[in-house]
Amino acid sequence: MSAVDPATTKTPAFRQVLVEALREEGSIWLLVIKTLIAFFLTGWIAMRLELPSPSSAMLTTIIVANRQSGMVLAKSFYRGIGTVVGAILAVVIVAAFAQQRVLFLLSLSLWIGFCSAGATLYRNFKSYAFVLAGYTAALVAVPVINAPLNVFDSAWARLSEVLLGLLVSGVVSEAIFPARMRDVMRRTGREQFTDFIAFVRGSVGGAIPREQMENAHLRFVRAAVTLEDLRSSVVFEDVETRARSNHLRLFNQRFMATSTSFQSLHHLINRLKRAQRERAADALIRLYAPLGKGLEGPLGAGLAAQALLPQMAVARDAIAANVTRLRGTLDDAQDLRDFDTGAALIRRFADELYDYIEAAASLQSPRPYPTISAERVSFDRGNDYLGAGIAMVRATLTMLVLGLFWIESAWPFGSSAMLLATVFAGLFATVPNPTRVTWIVMLGYLSGMIMAFICLFFVLTQVDGFGLLVVSVFPFAAVGLVMMFTPSLASYGLGWSFGLTYLLGLNNMQVFDPARAINDAIAQIIGLGAAAAAFVIIPPAIGSAWLRRRLMARLRAQVALAAEAPLPGLRHRFESINNDLVSQVVAQTQPGSADSRALIAWSLAVHETGRALVEMRHDMAVQDIPSTLRPYLDAVLDRLSRFYEVPDVASYVAARDAVATAIEGVREHTGQDYLLENLNLIRMTLLDSESAVAAYMPDAPLAKEIAHAP
Amino acid sequence: MPREIALGDALVPGLLVLFVVSLLVLWALDAVAGRFGLYRLVWHPSLFRLAVFVCVFGAFAYFLF
Repeated sequence: MSAVDPATTKTPAFRQVLVEALREEGSIWLLVIKTLIAFFLTGWIAMRLELPSPSSAMLTTIIVANRQSGMVLAKSFYRGIGTVVGAILAVVIVAAFAQQRVLFLLSLSLWIGFCSAGATLYRNFKSYAFVLAGYTAALVAVPVINAPLNVFDSAWARLSEVLLGLLVSGVVSEAIFPARMRDVMRRTGREQFTDFIAFVRGSVGGAIPREQMENAHLRFVRAAVTLEDLRSSVVFEDVETRARSNHLRLFNQRFMATSTSFQSLHHLINRLKRAQRERAADALIRLYAPLGKGLEGPLGAGLAAQALLPQMAVARDAIAANVTRLRGTLDDAQDLRDFDTGAALIRRFADELYDYIEAAASLQSPRPYPTISAERVSFDRGNDYLGAGIAMVRATLTMLVLGLFWIESAWPFGSSAMLLATVFAGLFATVPNPTRVTWIVMLGYLSGMIMAFICLFFVLTQVDGFGLLVVSVFPFAAVGLVMMFTPSLASYGLGWSFGLTYLLGLNNMQVFDPARAINDAIAQIIGLGAAAAAFVIIPPAIGSAWLRRRLMARLRAQVALAAEAPLPGLRHRFESINNDLVSQVVAQTQPGSADSRALIAWSLAVHETGRALVEMRHDMAVQDIPSTLRPYLDAVLDRLSRFYEVPDVASYVAARDAVATAIEGVREHTGQDYLLENLNLIRMTLLDSESAVAAYMPDAPLAKEIAHAP
Repeated sequence: MPREIALGDALVPGLLVLFVVSLLVLWALDAVAGRFGLYRLVWHPSLFRLAVFVCVFGAFAYFLF
């Protein structure tokens, strides 16, 4: 809520607060009612179909419950895939090791570990499909360990229950007051566009303070990743978005490319200003000015963006016409070189900006844009394989230890403890601080089970028929769901709803056995405790300083990717992995901390250098490079990759010298000047005393040195 | 009660298989509808989509019984 304005009278403010609160409460209750409708409807159908365990079908509806129907459908989709794969694997494992319980447990544990590892490699619900594939195998295979022939029935039962739950949830969330995520996505896309264009328009005046640049950079990175995340869920909810999905990706890729060029350009101008090269900087700012005119007018995607296109074309022509004139005002050789570098960057930026606006303009045209659909674009993610390995070891060990304990102790409820432990070890492997979350869920689980005990033995024993069952379970389930949909209590409520549904174990033949219920409850708590303990013993990589360092190393290694990876599609790949990595580290660092500042500084340097390298390689690929020149350029690519991979003073000097040598080399050859633009840019990034690489300079560079690069 | 379909030598609940098949069919229909913006012509797209699914699923199930 925004702060209450003291100027307004108290009553409307109070009423506004009340209305806001009621609206919030109302939306939560609507959600609770929707979830409960799906919950009981699923239970009823499952009982009518005489599925063996209606309660697990009902649990599914709680698991996929979400505010937006797109999220429900997306989660359902991946849950369905995971369940199918897991069920197939369970059949295979049981078929292979029916008589070998140690091998059986071992292979099952390895499979679960493998799935946990897969889950950490993906974000969104794809990760969820992996978790599901893991624990479904356990859920299907473990209960039939003593009667392997039943595995097929067990697999079909699980599949039918889960699919039924998904079907009902999907129908309920789509048909009853659906909350559309499509609008959120459209708004995000529009905001990305207007925010960026407004920022560019506002910055035409000249230099932007570094602080502001860094904030803008972070904002743009977040915007790009958020849009991609939304897109991947909305495609399930909205068929038109699905048809445009590739176009949206392209829009996002162009955004990332444009914002990188924009950053480079502004850092260049800032550097020139700092180095007292006012004339070159001013000439560049003047050259850049027509863009401001090109962007004048109302902002917005669609028609408004379409109106910008002709203006932008005019601005581009104006820039091209001004280059020679402005270049003529300079006489110093150094100024001329800086101006050429900047002018190339401005031209690149103007072209990219035009493409970006074009993508935005055609986003809302009634038919997907033909030329754009032809190009396949993908948003690549940056994954960390060691973190995945840790998740694998943890899940496997948890399962193995509990499994051995189960075998050795012949504990009747051991399997249920083991199942729950693996479910949660997989489920929470990807959240930051899983130990805490698991404990909270465990508390919720405990209270949910206590409630289930009360509900089961004091209420349900008094009633008869499905209608009364709904009435008696409703209050218990509603409390849990309200908590689940209240962000601050979400984990507790999740545990509560799980525990309640599990222990109630609603079925056609309801079992009322207090001793069994208590034993089962103890096993569940031990299972959850084991999952929490597993997170303590093998701490998750996510959120740790170690993983942050690894992610930073990955980010720096992006320069090597830019220098060495095959060229086709490299621009997109480089940008999207960069953005994904940065947003991962950002999510794990305190805003404003030293870590976060270091991250931003590095990401700016990597973005800038990497892009320049990619552009340079594109130039090298289309032009005929003399064989005497090529070794110098290859040395630049190699030394820069090495420096960014393992930054230290020696490799910094090597990289700096390689760039300087290459610049000299290019100058000795005639007709290769186009290479200078990117080389100069790289050189300036390397000599920037405010960037992340400054720490590796052998001696603090003087402003003079930046200007008079050898 | 649901009939069973033999996949290999294993008997599988027929409705479940048809359910998955109808989901795939709906997926394909959606792709066409999205490409040409057909759902813009309906009043309540998600209800309509649901109805299409019921029709597809029902048609398949009709052949089974």
